[in-house]
Parts: sequence; structure tokens; C-alpha cells
Amino acid sequence: MKVDLSRVMFALAVLALVAMVVLPVGWLVVTSLSGPHGPTLDNFVTLFTDATMIRPFLITLGSSAAVALLCVAVAVPMGWCVARTDMPLRSLVRILVMASLVTPPFLGAIAWELLAAPNTGFLNQFARVALHLDRSVHLFNVYSVAGLTFVNFLYTFPYAFVFVANALERIPADLEDASAILGAHPAQTAWRVTLPLILPSILAGALIAFLQSMTVFGSAAVLTLPAGFHTMTTRIWSLFQFPPKPALAAAASMPMLLLTLALLRAQQLVLGRKGYALVAGKGARRTIARLGAWRWGALAFCGFVLLNAIVLPYGALLDAAFVKIAPALPTFANLTLAHVHFVFFQLDATPVALWNTMILALGAATIATALAFVVGYLVARRTVPGWNVLSFLASAPIAIPSIVLGVGLFLAYTRPPLLLFGTLWIMLIAFVTIEFPAAYQQLVAVASSIHPELEEAGRLLGATPLRVLWDITAPLMRSGIVAAWCFVFIGAIREISAAILLFTAPTRTIAVVIYDLNESGDTGSIAVLGLLLMIVTFAVLALANRVPVITTAAEEYRA
Amino acid sequence: MATLELRTVVKRFGGVPVVDGVDLTIPDGAFVALLGPSGCGKTTLLRLVAGFLAPDAGEIAVGGRRLSAPGAVVPPEQRGMSMIFQSYALWPHMTVEQNVGYGLRLRRLPREEIAGRVATICTAVQLETLMKRYPGELSGGQQQRVALARALVVEPQTLLLDEPLSNLDANLREEMRFEIRRLHDEFRYTTVYVTHDQGEAMATADLIVVLRAGRVEQIGTPEEIYGRPRSEFVARFVGGANVLPGRFAGLDAPFSIRLEDVAMFPAAPPNGGSPVEGTVVRRVFLGSARDYVVEAGGELIRITTPPQVDVQPGERVWLGFPPERCHRLEPVSSGG
Repeated sequence: MKVDLSRVMFALAVLALVAMVVLPVGWLVVTSLSGPHGPTLDNFVTLFTDATMIRPFLITLGSSAAVALLCVAVAVPMGWCVARTDMPLRSLVRILVMASLVTPPFLGAIAWELLAAPNTGFLNQFARVALHLDRSVHLFNVYSVAGLTFVNFLYTFPYAFVFVANALERIPADLEDASAILGAHPAQTAWRVTLPLILPSILAGALIAFLQSMTVFGSAAVLTLPAGFHTMTTRIWSLFQFPPKPALAAAASMPMLLLTLALLRAQQLVLGRKGYALVAGKGARRTIARLGAWRWGALAFCGFVLLNAIVLPYGALLDAAFVKIAPALPTFANLTLAHVHFVFFQLDATPVALWNTMILALGAATIATALAFVVGYLVARRTVPGWNVLSFLASAPIAIPSIVLGVGLFLAYTRPPLLLFGTLWIMLIAFVTIEFPAAYQQLVAVASSIHPELEEAGRLLGATPLRVLWDITAPLMRSGIVAAWCFVFIGAIREISAAILLFTAPTRTIAVVIYDLNESGDTGSIAVLGLLLMIVTFAVLALANRVPVITTAAEEYRA
Repeated sequence: MATLELRTVVKRFGGVPVVDGVDLTIPDGAFVALLGPSGCGKTTLLRLVAGFLAPDAGEIAVGGRRLSAPGAVVPPEQRGMSMIFQSYALWPHMTVEQNVGYGLRLRRLPREEIAGRVATICTAVQLETLMKRYPGELSGGQQQRVALARALVVEPQTLLLDEPLSNLDANLREEMRFEIRRLHDEFRYTTVYVTHDQGEAMATADLIVVLRAGRVEQIGTPEEIYGRPRSEFVARFVGGANVLPGRFAGLDAPFSIRLEDVAMFPAAPPNGGSPVEGTVVRRVFLGSARDYVVEAGGELIRITTPPQVDVQPGERVWLGFPPERCHRLEPVSSGG
């Protein structure tokens, strides 16, 4: 009876994952190989010979590599300062880094337009006044490869930071003490013991930063289009503009898909090495370096990074939301609620977009979490033959850049009998698929951490499998379930990369509206909507943090 | 009647037999220990009995009712059994009271009866002051008692215990052994107790089943298993023994002798026998006894003596092997 039930759930889960992953990717491959007269390699020939395809490719690779290097250069010292020194305000620094992690890159890019657009940007205006420069001169130009690299760096370094800081926190002090007792100078210990131990985490962080900036659409679109150049993602998007060339777009998605697959595989190899297992072990006592006067220097360094990532951008957005014409310094004379009023009462798109965003985010969060619960549980318990297939399918969306998935879904669901384009359903599938791996990984970890004997004890006392799931497993997984739901919700309300290819006027979301408004230069309304997005995000995060942490209690009890 | 019968039960994992044709009859109300080293299949056997695993061959019956056969397994919740897990498996999100009462709530008993029975059993295992606590707030021994109470409150016909004491410290382990036996005598269910600790098995069980590589090596009372081991494996595993060539005791086959049964003399005994001359290699003081290793006739022989017997390493000694203490072993079986 138990077997039957899990087989049914297994079949449903596989079916869902096929619709989410296999079908879009399948159509992507098929379409990339087809032309007007049957199968062809023409699309790929174009891809590798047409300069307008090659240049975005090179720009993306160069910029992403630079982002990865910048991330390492900043995240390693910052992670060390927060995890292993007596620098003041460490927890505030950590919180602000998390804030930049949840800032959608497109919003960051728009904020940096306000700050560093060549003519109107705040920073350029200040520089002209401070340095008595001519009106035609500008110090900063965010509409450039450098600007794109900088903005992408600001919103991807938190990934590297999290990896590094966690790794540093998990190295037991014993390992470093052992080196010290053998006569090693602290610097030697750092170089010979600590650094090699966190090296996999640094590499993993760098890879993630690279992948994020390679596949990001929002910030790239905001910053490259005015400057008249393309990245891979904006080039794919442009192939959907009139006249659409979906086959070429499908082909153009392939390098990104393959590169992502390769890099994730590399990351697995780096992190999966057995010798580094201890880094994932229990938290232990760790040594804290006393920086003396240097701690103010360390704080200044962290502060400068966060100034650029958080303080200036959010300041600029706040300013734009409440002054008459941004960017301008707020004074009593030019403060206004006109933008707020406009967004909520005059902008036709707002009610529809708000409604769509809420429906999609609630739906995606609930569906993705439910599916992740079922799949995570089946994979963790390994009761069903074929669980490894399920595990593979569930992790696969990680390797599919959102915009590539958008192309795939467009191709899969614009043809009968699955005509979903133009409906909220296709957006829902996209959001669920994009956010699913995060929920899955969370829940498979939680499910694995629940000792099977806890369930078996319930069985022997007379509970059916479903009853055990309800009485024992689900309550123990509750905080994991809530966390997964919140992750997906936050991810969904800010999603733009796939939405930009799949929306139609009635299915616009807030993120799409923000993007549209940016094209028309309406910074005040953008700022209002962007801040609204962030308020909702932080509210949900606060909610997630308040859930009683039963699984932690469970872990303590097992230990 | 809850006589537990296993008939040529086989379980394979990935083609490798882990339980390899076990035949066993456990009388109603008996306390049986499944004893063996790790990997001998004892936990697998217990999980087969509980219904968490399906046998590949053979069948398992309780009181004449067939519970397990290949492809036909009564699910665990319908077997009227209880189990104590190695991890205790207490539900961390439920209080002691809720943990213990869970099985009764499933049986839809009236609220007052549940409360009454939970209180009674908790008193029996000395938990009455801890009813509102969560498992995370209890010591290891207390958690063990909750696990016992939770298993016993549903009045099982059969109680299964899977290495229940291995997470406790030495003193507590001793105490809980007696507790487990006391509760068995009080409630008279059939008990199957899995352990790798021969001391635990001897202290608690009526009947010990020594398992080796998925097969039954010997079944007997603790006295039989200890006093008359049938094979070298049993002799060595249960209680420790020297296994020596027959010539030491004038036998035609190897024999086993317990460490404390070897007689050790500082000089050749005048009245004979045929003592074997040897040299003390190692001496360890254990408080209530001394542990010697003596090299004699090309063999290393372990001997336990009273603490007063004090011979320096390197000195010569004479060893005697009382015939009534030497157990001739059956020729080496192929079951290894």
C-alpha cells in the first residue's frame, strides 16, 4: 500500500518535471536544428560567423570573468573580516550583504542609472561641482561594459561572500592550532592550512558569480541597450523582437546552456572532493583574529563596498520616488507624492501587474514547495526505484538559465495542443521551474536529516504511511517548508529573464512594468514600484525568520 | 499466544545474502537476544520481523498467523509489535506525554483512558515528573525510558529492541539492562533484543541466538552458550576464550577454554597432570583481576587470575587445562 502511494506520487512528480524541464529543453534542441526547409545546421553557422552574434558572446564572457575575479577579490577579505576577526559591526555588514543578495539586479542597474548616467547621474553632477568640470565632461558612465561589470559585481559578490564566510566559520580551530603548535607563523597557517581548506568554496563562489552575470537579463538590458551593444541574454531577447527568429534564438541559447552545465559540473567536482568534507561539518570553536587599529580599516573597506551596493542605490531610488524630477537633491520645495499617486491610481498597468505578480508568486511558491516536498521526500527516502532519475530532473533547472528556459517554454507551449502562450499558466510554469531547484534542495536536505527511525516508530505504533507523513514528517519539516516557500515567493516576484519573453499585455508583472517604464525613462514610478517590491521581499523574509525552528531542535536532539 | 516463528528466512541486498536461511522459534513470553558482530544480519533480521523489509524467501509468523512471505508482507502498523530503536526515535516536536500517548491516540481510545495509561506507564519507568518536557530536554537515559514507555503503553505482543543501550554510558547501560528485563517480567510480552554486546545478552535474555554472516551459529541459554560453545567463533565472540590445538589437553581436535579456567602455577605442580611450561609476555592489572598473556608451545594464551597472583613478565609459569573446562570444538564449518 505504501509502495502504491509513493509510486503514484512518483509518476505525478515525473510528469510535472517533464512538462517543466524536458519538454522546453527538447523543443529548444529541435528548433535550434530546424530551418524553413527541414533539419539544418544553418542556425549554428550563423551563430559562429555573424559578428552580431559573436561579439555579445565575447563581451559576456569577458565581463563575467571580470565579475568573478572582482567577487573573489572582495568576498574573500570581506568574508574573513566578518567570520574571523573582531571587526566592529560584523552582523550589520552581514545583513547588508544579504540585502544586496536579495536586490534584483535590474533594480540595482536602474538605481545606478540614476547615480552614474553620463549626463544626469548624481555622481557625475557632484563630480562636476566638486572638481569644477565642464558640463560635457563625465567621470562615470554606467552604460558601458565596465558599468555592466561593476553593477553585476555588486549583486553577485554576496554569493561568493556566503560561500567563503560559511567555509571560514566551519573550519575547526583545531586544524589551525595543529599548524601553530608545529611552529607555523599565523601567516604560514593562513597560507598553508586555512586557504587550501576554503579554496573550493572560493572557486565555487567565483563560478556562481560567473554564471549569474552570464545569465542575467535585467541589468544587462537596462545598461547595454542605451549604449547600443548586446550581451548574450539581450541578444537572445532581441531575436524575439520583430521580425522574430526563434530558431536562431534557440541556437543562441545552446552555448549558454552547455557552458552552465560544464561550470556546474566543475563546481561539483571542486566541492565534492572527499578531503574537504570537514568544511561541511559541524560548527566548532574558531579563532578570532584581533585586528587592533586595522579593524577600522577593515570596516571602511566593507563599508565602501556596501555603500555602492546598498546605500547609494537605495538612496537614489528613495530620492527618485519622492522628488519631482530625479535625480535631484531632495528639498522641501521638490518633495512630492505625485509618483506614488501616479503608480497606484493613474498607471493602467499597476492593478493588473500587482494582481498577476501576487497570483504568480503565491501560486509558484505553493506549487514549487509542494512538488519539492514530494520529490525531496521520495529522493531522501529512496523507496521508489528510479529515485535518481527524479533527483536528476529536479536539479536540472539549475543548469538552465532563465532566459533559455523562457525560449524553451515559448517554443514548447506556443503550439497546439499546448497553447499556453499569452496566459498566466506559461508564466507560472516558468516561475515554478526557475525557482524549483532552490526549494527542492532545501527540502531534500531537510527530509534527509530526519532519521527514518522517527517514521518507523510511528508505523510500528499503528500509523499508516500517510498518517506518519502528516503527524511526524511534515511537522518536522515545517520550518524547511516555510523557508522554501519564502525563497520561491521572493524569487518569483522579481523574475524578469523568462517573463520578458513570455508576457503579453494582460499578463504583465511588476518586474515587467518596471522594465517598460525604464524604457520610457519614468524613473519616479520605477522607484516607487521597485521600493514596493523590496518592501514585500523584506516582509516575507522577516516572516520566514520568525518561524519556530523545530528542525534545529530536532538536529540538537539527534546530536 | 505470540510464538514467533521464522522459517528459512532469506534477505539479500544487491544479490548478497544478509540473512541466509534463518530458522528460529521464539516461545510466547520469552526474552531472546540476537547476538553477533556488526554485519552479521541481526538488525536486518529484526527489521524483517518488524515488517520494514520483505523477505526474499521463507516466512515469518506470529501465533500461527503468517505476517511475512515474499511479496506478501503485513505492514508494520498491523503487526501488534513495538520497537525500541537505536536512536530512540523520539519525536522532537512532541512532549514526553504526546510521544507516549501517540500509539493510544491512533487506537482512538477515550481521552481519559489515554491520560490514565500514559500516567501509569510513565510512573513504571520513573518519568512521571518529566511528562511536559520535549525529548531535546532529556538526558540519554531519560530518552531511553520514554522510548520504552512509548513502546510498552500499547501493550504489544512482541517487543523488538535494536541495540537500545549503545548510546548510553557504561553505568546507565548496566542499570537499563535490568530495567528492560524487569519490565519484561512485569508485562510478559515476547522480546527480541538485538545486540553485539555479549554481556548485555547474558544479563537479559532467556535464550541467546548467536548469528554469524546471516546464519544461526548456536542457540542456547546464556549458560550453554558460555559454558559449551559449539564453535571457535562462539567461543571467541561470547565472553572471550582461548582456542588451542588439541595436544594441550590431550584431545584429538581443537578445544576452547575460558580465560579464567586456565590454571597458572609459579612452579611445576608436584602431583602432575601434564602442565605446559610457558613464559609471561604481558601482565595487566584490572582491579578485580589480572590479565596475563603467556607464550607456551608456540601459542599465545590469555589467562585471567585473581589479583593476588602476581608474576612478572619474563618469568616462567606452568599452565594447567582442567579437562572438564576444555570444550572440544566441532570441525571448522564452511559457513564462514
